[in-house]
Amino acid sequence: MPALRLALHFIRRDVRNRYLGSFSGGLWALAQPLIQLAVYGFVFVYVFKADKVPGADSLGYVPFLALGLWPWVAFSEGISRATTALADNAPLIAKVALPRQVLVFAAVAASFLVHGVGFCAIALALRAFGVPLNLLALPLALTGFVQLFLLALGLAFVCAAVQVFVRDLAAALPQLLMLWMFASPVFYARESLPVRYQGWLDFNPFAFYPEFFRASLLHSGAVTLAAHALALVVALAMLALGLTVFRRLDPHFEDFL
Amino acid sequence: MSDVLAETQNLGKSYPLVFRSRDRLRALLSLLSGSGRAESVSVLKDVNLRVRRGESLGLIGENGAGKSTLLKLLTGVLTPSSGSVRVNARVGALLELGAGFHPEYSGRDNIALAAALYGLDSAETRAKLPQIIEFADIGRYIDEPVKHYSSGMVVRLGFAVVAALRPDLLITDEVLAVGDEAFQKKCVRWIEDYLSGGGTLILVSHSMYHIQKLCRQALWLKHGEVAASGDVYAVTQAYLAYQESKSAAAAPDRASLLGQNLEFHLLDLSLNGTTTPLALMQRTDLRVRARVHSREGRAPVVMFGIVRADGTPIYGVSSEMDGVHPVRESENVYCAEIVFPELALLPGSYVVKAHPLDPEGVRLFDTLERGLTVAGASREFGLVRLRHEWIGADAPVQRAAASS
Repeated sequence: MPALRLALHFIRRDVRNRYLGSFSGGLWALAQPLIQLAVYGFVFVYVFKADKVPGADSLGYVPFLALGLWPWVAFSEGISRATTALADNAPLIAKVALPRQVLVFAAVAASFLVHGVGFCAIALALRAFGVPLNLLALPLALTGFVQLFLLALGLAFVCAAVQVFVRDLAAALPQLLMLWMFASPVFYARESLPVRYQGWLDFNPFAFYPEFFRASLLHSGAVTLAAHALALVVALAMLALGLTVFRRLDPHFEDFL
Repeated sequence: MSDVLAETQNLGKSYPLVFRSRDRLRALLSLLSGSGRAESVSVLKDVNLRVRRGESLGLIGENGAGKSTLLKLLTGVLTPSSGSVRVNARVGALLELGAGFHPEYSGRDNIALAAALYGLDSAETRAKLPQIIEFADIGRYIDEPVKHYSSGMVVRLGFAVVAALRPDLLITDEVLAVGDEAFQKKCVRWIEDYLSGGGTLILVSHSMYHIQKLCRQALWLKHGEVAASGDVYAVTQAYLAYQESKSAAAAPDRASLLGQNLEFHLLDLSLNGTTTPLALMQRTDLRVRARVHSREGRAPVVMFGIVRADGTPIYGVSSEMDGVHPVRESENVYCAEIVFPELALLPGSYVVKAHPLDPEGVRLFDTLERGLTVAGASREFGLVRLRHEWIGADAPVQRAAASS
């Protein structure tokens, strides 16, 4: 299938290009979230004494944070890279007829690939440091990653298509994503919120994922089957919406790029 | 009847008018809701064309006439605003130089991408790579990012990729205008070989020489509409005539020249009795006639010259060189007429020029030009047919083959 081959080509190019010209090469993919984890770990554990976070009490804060942070990095980076994917490849789009979905797909897929590998590596590393992480549940956790990928892809299609018309989106996106991160249980557990706000997290489509990874890998908290099913439906609905918007705007991209 | 590779019906394209970001937002909303279209400016209207397998079509027209837009519609980069496009072929396209190369990546990476876009898998790409690198002939630059390339190198690489892919339908936009002479010749040779092997071509060029050399059909776009289409010589002829009348209308320098009241100026220049551009069959007679006004009644020296449409001089001769004098028609008017029997020029576009000089043959006063198109089906190369004979036992056979 040519579209798939093309997508693989773009993914390979994207992954390679990220670390092209950086000394550490592919290691940077691991180093970046690791450093982020170390900084957050220091600030929250030693400055804010956050190991009192409910749900993370018995395990220490760092593994708790890692399982929320990695999916978030993959998710947010995938969306922000995909948003500019069409503009970045404008010279190509202007000269060659290609299915443009491929460009968006490749940007999101490359982020999930890089950070998915990072996620597995950090899980193994935490286990090696003696964190009682259930490695047998890792394949199950990866299905959660795939589901999160579908959600990100749907959003990425919308953002990429809208960005062609309204250039402000790429500038506003980092702020919006930052806001979204703090509105999600990445740094904290649902139980840390005042009780009357806890229910609000159900309206956040990302909130399910950190809780799912922590429940499956750390046995910290639990997610219901209903919540899982709902998250899957939301992800698929988002993907369908994204594709619809993208397809409708696709014939007009070249006029506005 | 051979199969149709590309066809358009009442094809039209208009671009939206967007100046402010508010317009962009409004366009987005109207597109999303599927309601009426925003204000737009039309760049292409009612274009009908059909290209069958093995045909070659040249697109000509002034800048901004819509040639590139038409190519983009044919390749599917743009979506038509009205009408339809059908293409039933694997298309190789070179639009505005380069095949969509990414400036940050090396030539090698871009080749791989172009091959993937064309639908080749990595094994096929690897097999074609040496051939592409050899054709492009840009040395170690193949591993440099494309942003370090000169525009000539980008075209070399782009053309090399297309040449290796050997598409069913080749669509190129002004490729031959860039690149040095040697590479241009290589490209022209490749295209001729590709066409004789059954390839199909749609070519945009401002060089009537290349259009006539490579294409059998031509389509002239004027302000987004088809002004003429059909046989390449007829269409290029009409186009050149239009260009000439336009530049004649907008030639203030000649008016000011006449206002200077020079000693000599040209009254007219005619080719075979007409003052419009002339189409001539190969190896027929060409009569060139110029009338000169002489302020003081002295006999001028008249010079005639022929150049190729791109300016390459071919032949020039003056009355003084041949020791003849123009005929005096009245007190102040002289007439010079020359005939080139069985004109030796090969098919192509040329310009005939006339200049009056002072009787000493030193000062040049004026210039008039007329377009000349030589038509014919000759397969000989170059500008002119040189007299020749084949030596040896097989000579009669050769001659028979050449004249058939």
